[in-house]
Amino acid sequence: MVEHVAEQVVEHGAEAAQAAEHAAHGAEGGSAFIMHHILAQPVIKLPTVYGVDLTITNHVLMMWITSLILLLAFGLSFRRKKLVPSGLANALEAAVVYIRDDVIIPNMGHHGMMYAPYLLTAFFFILLCNLLGLVPGGATATGNIGVTAALAILTLVMGQIAGIRKFGFWGNMKHLIPGGLPGFLIPIMIPVEIVSLMAKHIALAIRLFANMIAGHITILAIMSLIFIFKSWIVAPAPLLIIIFCAILEILIAFIQAYVFTILSAVFIGMNMAEEH
Amino acid sequence: MTPQGGTIFWTAVTFIALLLMLWKVAWKPIIQGLAERETKIRESLEAADKANQKVQEALTNQQNVIAAAKKEAMDIVEKNRKAAELVREEIIQKANADAAAMLTNAKREIELSRDKAIEDIRNLAVELSMAATKQLIGKALDKSEHESLIQNSIKRMEKLN
Repeated sequence: MVEHVAEQVVEHGAEAAQAAEHAAHGAEGGSAFIMHHILAQPVIKLPTVYGVDLTITNHVLMMWITSLILLLAFGLSFRRKKLVPSGLANALEAAVVYIRDDVIIPNMGHHGMMYAPYLLTAFFFILLCNLLGLVPGGATATGNIGVTAALAILTLVMGQIAGIRKFGFWGNMKHLIPGGLPGFLIPIMIPVEIVSLMAKHIALAIRLFANMIAGHITILAIMSLIFIFKSWIVAPAPLLIIIFCAILEILIAFIQAYVFTILSAVFIGMNMAEEH
Repeated sequence: MTPQGGTIFWTAVTFIALLLMLWKVAWKPIIQGLAERETKIRESLEAADKANQKVQEALTNQQNVIAAAKKEAMDIVEKNRKAAELVREEIIQKANADAAAMLTNAKREIELSRDKAIEDIRNLAVELSMAATKQLIGKALDKSEHESLIQNSIKRMEKLN
């Protein structure tokens, strides 16, 4: 079964590559051409361990590139300690200050600064993944539901850690019971609260994934029009629309990174809040 | 479209590794640096405020001192003017008084001189008349007698006048 999954991934890649070739010749391969561009493609095949296929896909590779760029940018900018930063350090610091003053402190209070490293990393990581997905030849790691699911799971874990640190293990569990509830409703409310908690984080994952993939699908679909009509005359109109969509995607890249960060801050903050 | 276990695994590993590395490389120095800078800025602002307050106080003091000095100077000038006025008044009064006294003295002296002159004339008249009478009646009248005689005749003359 494990091998089957691995095979599927490989097959899928090959299919998509074929479909792309088809798409260049006509309309029939259009959807496959789009799927090829938005789905993960294996780069380095690795064995499957305990049912988890460790194959390095282009999305994983993009995450590594993102991490490398972030480490280089921050590492070189803040290598020497200065009282007043300049250049890139100044820009990065402005972003950090923005996240601190407009995301963390309003939603979590000053105790939230404990979780600032997580939220800052999430913001810059998602932002750069989003932006690198717009670079020709790149792939959007955040357009992969697995990537966004992992990030949402990390937010869920951070939220639980925050609750346990503040109220203890059982104190954190009490968050599952809304205050002022009649006793007989508790058995009903606990599952409802658990579902609500899961739904929030699943929505977090799907929101980022869907937003990132939607722009790409739109751009690729409009681009396909040129091949469907098989005419140079149609080209300028889709081109203009694609340029517009690309600019919109840059905006969305920032917005979604911000939204994911602020919602993570809110969810973690909720677990740190006192019952009221 | 379904989340792949491998993707979730690699994302989690990559993200946590990135988080730990950036924590050391970036977040800690940035957050500390920001806090330090904010403290410094706040302290500088407070110091500037204090300095400004001091300057304001000094300025007010200075203004007060200048105002006091000005008032003092005005007072001195006023006092001196008054004293000068007083001295002038005194001098004028003294001069007036002196002049009046001199006038009175002069008048008295004149009166005295006149009285003396009149007396002298009277005495001379008595002596002349005595001498004339002596020559006329050849006998010397006793002086007091004579005098009364003359006095009578003078009185008569005065009446005639």
